[in-house]
Amino acid sequence: MAGDTVRNRRKALGNGAVAAAGLLIVMFAVYASHQPTALTLFGVGNLLNNTIVLALAATGLTFAILCGEFDLSGPGVIAIANVVVATTSAGSLGAAGSFGLVLLIGLVVGGLNGILVAYLGLQSLAVTLGSLIACQGVALLILPAPGGQVVDSIAYGITGNIMSVPVPALLLALTIVFWLLLRQSRMGLAIYAVGTDQAAAGLSGLNIRTTKLFAFVLAGLFYAIAGFVFSAEIGSGDPRISDSFLLFMFAAVAIGGTSLFGGRGGVLGTLAGAGILTVLQKMLFALGVADFYTNIFNGIIMILAILFGQASAYLARRPERRGT
Amino acid sequence: MEGETPKVLDFRSVSKRYGVTIALHDVSFELHAGEVCGLLGENGAGKSTLVKILSGVVVPDSGSIELRGAPFKPQGIVDARAAGIATAFQELSLIPTLSVAANLFLPRPALNRFGLVSASGIEREAAAILESYGVTDIAPGRLIEELPLGLRQKVEIVRALWHSPSVLVLDEATAALSDREWLFGLADAVRRDGTSVLYISHKLDEIRRLCQRCVILRNGRKVLESDVASMSDEAIFSSMAGRSPAEASKKRPSAVRQRTEPVLQVAGISGPGVDHVSFSLAAGEILGVAGLEGHGQSSLFKALVGLSILTEGTVSAGGKTVSVRSPRIARSLGMVLVPEERKSEGLFHDLTTQANISLPVINRASRFNLVNRSSERRLVEKVTPAVNLPERFLPLNIDALSGGNQQKAVLARALMTGAKCLLLFDPTRGVDVGAKRNIYEMMRSFVGDGGSILFYSTELDELVQLCDRCLVLYRNSIAGELDRDQLSQDRILSLASGYRNGAHQAAVEEA
Amino acid sequence: MTDKDLANPSQATEFGLRSSRRQWIGSEIVPALTVFAATALLVVGMKIANPSFGSFEQITAILVTAIFLVVASFGQGLVILLGGIDLSLGVIIGIGGMMIAEWTHGSNDALLYAIPLTLLCCLGIGLINGLGVAIAGIPPFIVTLASGITFYGVGLGFTAGNSQQPVAPAIQHFMSSRWLGVPYPVYFIVVFVVIAWLFQNRSAEGRKLYAIGSSPGAARILGLPMAPLTIAVYAISGLCAGITGILLAGYSSSATLDMGNALLMPSIAAVVIGGARVTGGSGIYLGTLAGALFLSTLSTVITTLSLSQGFRDLVQGGVIIIALLLQRGRLNLRSR
Repeated sequence: MAGDTVRNRRKALGNGAVAAAGLLIVMFAVYASHQPTALTLFGVGNLLNNTIVLALAATGLTFAILCGEFDLSGPGVIAIANVVVATTSAGSLGAAGSFGLVLLIGLVVGGLNGILVAYLGLQSLAVTLGSLIACQGVALLILPAPGGQVVDSIAYGITGNIMSVPVPALLLALTIVFWLLLRQSRMGLAIYAVGTDQAAAGLSGLNIRTTKLFAFVLAGLFYAIAGFVFSAEIGSGDPRISDSFLLFMFAAVAIGGTSLFGGRGGVLGTLAGAGILTVLQKMLFALGVADFYTNIFNGIIMILAILFGQASAYLARRPERRGT
Repeated sequence: MEGETPKVLDFRSVSKRYGVTIALHDVSFELHAGEVCGLLGENGAGKSTLVKILSGVVVPDSGSIELRGAPFKPQGIVDARAAGIATAFQELSLIPTLSVAANLFLPRPALNRFGLVSASGIEREAAAILESYGVTDIAPGRLIEELPLGLRQKVEIVRALWHSPSVLVLDEATAALSDREWLFGLADAVRRDGTSVLYISHKLDEIRRLCQRCVILRNGRKVLESDVASMSDEAIFSSMAGRSPAEASKKRPSAVRQRTEPVLQVAGISGPGVDHVSFSLAAGEILGVAGLEGHGQSSLFKALVGLSILTEGTVSAGGKTVSVRSPRIARSLGMVLVPEERKSEGLFHDLTTQANISLPVINRASRFNLVNRSSERRLVEKVTPAVNLPERFLPLNIDALSGGNQQKAVLARALMTGAKCLLLFDPTRGVDVGAKRNIYEMMRSFVGDGGSILFYSTELDELVQLCDRCLVLYRNSIAGELDRDQLSQDRILSLASGYRNGAHQAAVEEA
Repeated sequence: MTDKDLANPSQATEFGLRSSRRQWIGSEIVPALTVFAATALLVVGMKIANPSFGSFEQITAILVTAIFLVVASFGQGLVILLGGIDLSLGVIIGIGGMMIAEWTHGSNDALLYAIPLTLLCCLGIGLINGLGVAIAGIPPFIVTLASGITFYGVGLGFTAGNSQQPVAPAIQHFMSSRWLGVPYPVYFIVVFVVIAWLFQNRSAEGRKLYAIGSSPGAARILGLPMAPLTIAVYAISGLCAGITGILLAGYSSSATLDMGNALLMPSIAAVVIGGARVTGGSGIYLGTLAGALFLSTLSTVITTLSLSQGFRDLVQGGVIIIALLLQRGRLNLRSR
């Protein structure tokens, strides 16, 4: 009887992530076989650079989805973060100041989403659609056309190395550590509980509202950080939201085995999912696939990978109940 | 009694209404230390509202509650627990994707020195707690979703007990338990410690075993409070139902058509939750299905109507072998299911009552595919008399109707499909007395006209009163079949509990 | 064997029933009327601020620009009614426009087959969406988002993203001319609105859509044709997007693959503002129409006031949230 404890406990939380990680390794191997430079420090650093924004944004999204809600506002927060950094970092606020402002923005947007959904009971899909559009508007108001400048300390700092470790790798590591801690915390348990069965969570004494608010605020903060890193990568401001980025965020989450219905999965899977998507892009490019096919492949492979990811989340639910 | 044992809970003139519905009206009762008090009532009597108020989930509109002399006004579950009331809910409040240990300590599992929840730490604690309550067959690291219903119920109960409440509320706590003695032993033990228990159940034998007193609710009001020992079963039933059970009706003459092809013949079917079931259903017959919760009745009905796939066996309708792969096909064969969960599987909440009923024949009420309201109404009014559904309800949104009237609407819709074979799954659940009577009449006249009904009910006296024959399920297969003359509640219950010819069939396995 | 049915606060006893809703879906007309009123207020407000605004010419011009959203949001509205969503709408519009431009190439000769062919292709994309949702069981969010990306790629491949021009003069003429002083598109809108309303709120199939959206579980048990209806609805959405693409191409005289993207979010917004529940089962067509008209009017007003696009987006987002807040009592009465 005692033997099956650990195995069973890990099952629901890790299964999807393990499968996704496996897929990631396979894909990376295929990619590396065509592009030997991928295995160098430079190559890895480059890959991390390409992945980190998606990884951070999709991580934020994971929190909202885990507690059973939708959040479309990611690209909006990223856009605002980007234009804010582009307009203030080189001038009025400096690097640190702009970072602080960006975090504040993430907090505010996430908080608003959370209050509207958790305390006022509005549908999250519709609410975050509204905040996405509103954020786009704010971004355009701050910077009507691409321009501005991201101060060098950020642009080179974030994309460079600290003690020969790529900064994105550090960010990734910090994210993983954060998640491992959160997962073991009371709030982490609460998020899973609320996402799995809201009614039971309430009857168990959990505060559903604060849990959801917390999840949305976390999401907002991670979007903000993603936006900050994005600014570093492109070096200037662009207020327009990329439509496909939202897809990539959801795809990363879904591929990683987090159930879109909530309660199952986690950030580790999402990070693997983000990696898979990025390697996929690079692989298609390295294989010399014409532009024509890239998007098509993207779409199809994405659906397949998502099915794969959702299947593993479904399988984790399999142990049949005895009785009816 | 007075002065001897202190009063623990004083529930005074509590009322609660939801809109126009009166859930509780001026209900008062007391609980004394160390006593077990039963709470009885039909579906819709107000028991669950009362439980929710005691648990801190719902705030009453008026009245007052005192716990150990102090006012009891909890802001939520946690408050209520802190004040000393813990509940084992009928709708289990456990999170399937978390472990037993995590669930046990929700919402505030212990933190280790890093401020995190240590799985091994809480599991150790949980193991100790489970053991102290005599539970040795549940590993605390297992996820709730991996446990069978009976074990989950144990966890739910242990969780409530562990908070050492002054008042322990057990809401239908034995519904899935296979070992009731365990619970009875615990109840006796906590009584000795001075805890009061509010025991909600509809099983009279349990009430008699455990409770000294009982309170009976009907339509939101307390109709009786008395010692259990001094009341007969009939007296209890009639207080609950407001009628004497025998009055339900004298046995009607059998309407079974003899020497005709059976409407439905099922031979050796197996599938998810169905284990080698065979039976036949004749025209004009009401065939009952009985079984304790979780013994295959739900899967059987679902399989018959095509919601799950059968792996073995044959189904014949009207003499021809058929493969029912979906409810659409079942309907084309003349079989329609009236499902268990009205709210999620029966009603279309955004539509009016009329629209709910007319759905199967909506194309017939349309010309050029555009719905003609008056044709629709005429079609619907052909079936509403059969269920005694007043016409004035038709233009109203279905959610504005009482549970009984909603169920009548669902039945009317089933009639509307023109089906000759109705599969009714607990059709009188959550239905008031008057509506129940209408439903019985509808069933009788339906089979009188040559239709057939497969009828599952959790109320044994319904089965005894209405059925021509009754199948009893035990662990997903048929434990026995009772003819009209053999039909009695005792026989049904004993077959359903696994006793055949006086002996218990198989050792009851846990997990 | 429980009283859990009592937990639904909207039930009543035989002793008294709640406010009777006379119509089939009576209370749902309130949000629609509110939004119409808001639109009217907008126009009146503009007229006061700017007396030259609000002439017959201008109103009809607003209606012409509204046509795209009106048509697109109908399809989106049906999909949302069923509990789904169509995120490929924008791309299908672009593809529709590109196709009609490509195949007519500035002349009217090919119109006879170009229009049906374009519509067929767009309907086909919708069909694929529907199959993915109904047969493969993939969440609509994912299916339509991914198909949008995929077909965008297909479109890119065929056209390398270049704008196609010019579009057949007949279509351009249709979009810019008048008959009896009223622009052709306005007549089109009227006819379209009638057909849309009849289908969604008066037809037998429409009734079934409401049932499926309201309770998929009950619909399945009742044996409603869920797969065929789902596929059909997504196909209709694709068709509407195709029509929108053709009209848009005619209006702009040329077509780009991206031109439909700006209509995606507003199409969802129009449905939501009009009072529909995002999870499906409620909301009348009149509401979607009101939402579409409101957003189009808002857009025109903002342009007239020379406010930036940023401002327009901000207001649009705010309007969605305000609409949600206003409908809170009505929508949350029944929690899922």
